[in-house]
Amino acid sequence: MKLYKKEGNIIQVLCFPTENAEKGDYLMIEDTEAGKALIAQVIDVQFAAIPGVLEELLRTLPDGGEPIQGEDIDPMEIAPHITYIQDASLLICKIRATFQNELLSPSSSWLPSRSQSLIKKLSIPLLLRLAKVEGKLPIILGGTKDASLLTIDASAIDGTLNIITGKKGCGKSHLSKLLMVSLLGYGAAVVVFDLNGEYSSLGLSADGKRNMYFDKIHALAPSQNFKVAVSQLHLNVIMGILVHALHLPGTSAREFRRIWKQLKEKDNLSLSSLGEAIRNLNCNQHVRDALSSRYHSLVNSGFFTDRPAEATLLEECLLKANDEGGAIIINLKNTSTIDRQIVVEYVLGKLVDSLSSWKLKAAFLFAEEAHLYLRETYWDDIVTRMRHFGLFTTFVTNQPDTIRENIYRQADNIFLFNFTNEHDLDVVSRAARVDAETVRSIARDLPPHHCLTLGRVVHDFPIVARVRTLDLKTMGETRLFFKNMN
Amino acid sequence: MDTTLPQRFLEQSIHSLKQVNHQIFQLNQQPFQQQNTYDQEPTNLQLNRTPIQLKSNHQETTIAAIDTSTIKIGETSTGLIVAIRGATVWKQDRAYRYTRLGPFIFHITEDNKKEVYNTLERAYFTNRYETSHFYAPSLLQMPTRLASLLERWLQTMIAKTVTNGLILLDGSLTSGTIDTPVYRLKEILDLARKNQNIVLAFSKMTMLRINGYLITDQLPSSDPPYLLETSGLRPKPPTVILGDVYVARLGRSSYAFRLDIDKEIQTQKRVEAVEKLVGNDLYNQNYPETLRLSHILCTFTANEVLAMQHFITHKHGIRIINRPDMHRLLFGPFGKGETYA
Repeated sequence: MKLYKKEGNIIQVLCFPTENAEKGDYLMIEDTEAGKALIAQVIDVQFAAIPGVLEELLRTLPDGGEPIQGEDIDPMEIAPHITYIQDASLLICKIRATFQNELLSPSSSWLPSRSQSLIKKLSIPLLLRLAKVEGKLPIILGGTKDASLLTIDASAIDGTLNIITGKKGCGKSHLSKLLMVSLLGYGAAVVVFDLNGEYSSLGLSADGKRNMYFDKIHALAPSQNFKVAVSQLHLNVIMGILVHALHLPGTSAREFRRIWKQLKEKDNLSLSSLGEAIRNLNCNQHVRDALSSRYHSLVNSGFFTDRPAEATLLEECLLKANDEGGAIIINLKNTSTIDRQIVVEYVLGKLVDSLSSWKLKAAFLFAEEAHLYLRETYWDDIVTRMRHFGLFTTFVTNQPDTIRENIYRQADNIFLFNFTNEHDLDVVSRAARVDAETVRSIARDLPPHHCLTLGRVVHDFPIVARVRTLDLKTMGETRLFFKNMN
Repeated sequence: MDTTLPQRFLEQSIHSLKQVNHQIFQLNQQPFQQQNTYDQEPTNLQLNRTPIQLKSNHQETTIAAIDTSTIKIGETSTGLIVAIRGATVWKQDRAYRYTRLGPFIFHITEDNKKEVYNTLERAYFTNRYETSHFYAPSLLQMPTRLASLLERWLQTMIAKTVTNGLILLDGSLTSGTIDTPVYRLKEILDLARKNQNIVLAFSKMTMLRINGYLITDQLPSSDPPYLLETSGLRPKPPTVILGDVYVARLGRSSYAFRLDIDKEIQTQKRVEAVEKLVGNDLYNQNYPETLRLSHILCTFTANEVLAMQHFITHKHGIRIINRPDMHRLLFGPFGKGETYA
């Protein structure tokens, strides 16, 4: 390989057919005289602009359009050299760092010698070692192209905002489960908004037997095994549900607050007493109607109960998870849109309560297709306020444009699967920890189950890996009509 | 087929390259223009403006064409590194086929040029003619002379192997020049005739003029295809033209070419031959496709030049350097390089 050109932080390397380099590979461009080396990543592979190639291809086509048949008597065997030159490729590489005195720095301000530089492929294990992507809490994400393992440190996910995105069926949920159970293995408290009911059975291995996570996974299905006793509800939580999930106007909210406080003082807080109080409320008809419709939504959700024995104490589950490590899976599969928002509002309210009162040290939240249940104001809350409380979110989506741009800008880690749509790639490329060229070029060619890992977990050295399989009952498979017919 | 000449080409090529081992050489990519030594200003040249109208004859006829090419790959401290390649193309059963021979890479120096040239001359032509008159051309002429040797050998092979066909040559049927002795061209024409072939030589450029105008520019308004006959062409000795010269306009395009047809062929047969050519070949700007392909196939592309430079660097350990172009160095943007000097 030969260094050809450098423009900004893009370097072009001439690569001959005997030297194999592909998108995503890392190169070390070593200038021994300067005593330093550039570390660059191949983001595109092009044909080298060899003069005369067009003529070479054209002359084998006569006017008829079919290739002209013939024999080449090449006694000096020049033909392999012609092929060698013709097949030379140009590697477009992005400079990631400078390696000097055993240290990596993100500088690309120097120019290595074009004639003297030695260019060689940098294996992923060596890169990870140089970048010190190692730690005491390893999570094996999968295998890289050079048959090594991509291992990240769980602490690199701690305190971070993560995004897992890619088009449908490429393995996003699988990676999300892998991260989740790995965190669980290290005793973390995890909350999952499980939109499709895929996470509930992670306590079982693929053959249906209990696995090491069985006792740590608490699957909660709203209105089934997950109900809330009205008497145990905090006013701010119920107000959050009414205002944000059920869009109760301000005046009506004030009336509700008054009713709630009155019933609480009388120690008569229940669904039926609440209904009775709203019915007997002496106020504007519109206010009463507004309260009445919200009350029926709460009742119809089946999520609230007057019998404390029937209720699940989420706080207790959270505390248990905090102490021993555990995952609370909120199964939203059979929940209507309104009920989903009520449940999410309740869970997030409880989480913030527990975190702000330091009952809960920190929690990892996995939110699949969050735009379907997360209210507008929560997006900013999650990346700013809640983060400081200790709620570290991982968004999982196949529609990257449903996540706001400011979320991308603040994302610490992005796990990017294949995207072919330019618009989707544009959205993801707005992330602050990644350059648009890398996203556009590498993500477009990622095979299924291959993930481009970007951000803090890989110390800003984007690495492609095939996500490893899990011996878990994942249930994320799409149900097919013709499955057993072929 | 007698393959002595290509074998000698290969031997001389390898031998000459061994002498340049581990030397430094200067890159250069200038194709050599074959010197047109044939067209000398004749006296009494006349052009019959009454066209011989041609009718397209589709009778299946083999058409074969030959061309060679040479290019300078670089310079060494003692000489030149050049490459030579030949191509024959034939159209048979409505399909074009080709054979390419080469490239042969030579390192030619003042010391080895005589040996290289005479060895190659002797390789094919000696057994029939005296060799005493052999001499080595100048260093700069060597590439075209070597290419010319290969071209005549390919023409001879085609004349021997094709029967009842048309053999298209690039250039004219002028002989008696330094690189085309009369006996050599005569032998090719004799061989072609013996196999019922007719040789048609097309010149892309001609210097033949009547009243100051090129013969190919004096076209009548008749519908093509047609031939215009010339007469009175008497080149200065020792140059001998072994064909009769025509102006051929073979298609609707406005271009016409000088066409030399073997003198020994009867007039009627000549016309029939051109009619068969019109009926069997394709035309691009009125130039036969077979001949065009032979030229295209033997021409060196920049990619091939790079490959040959790679070959000699790797196989013979020659270090490539880029010596500055003195024109550019001295005249900056006004120096267009040696080619334009």
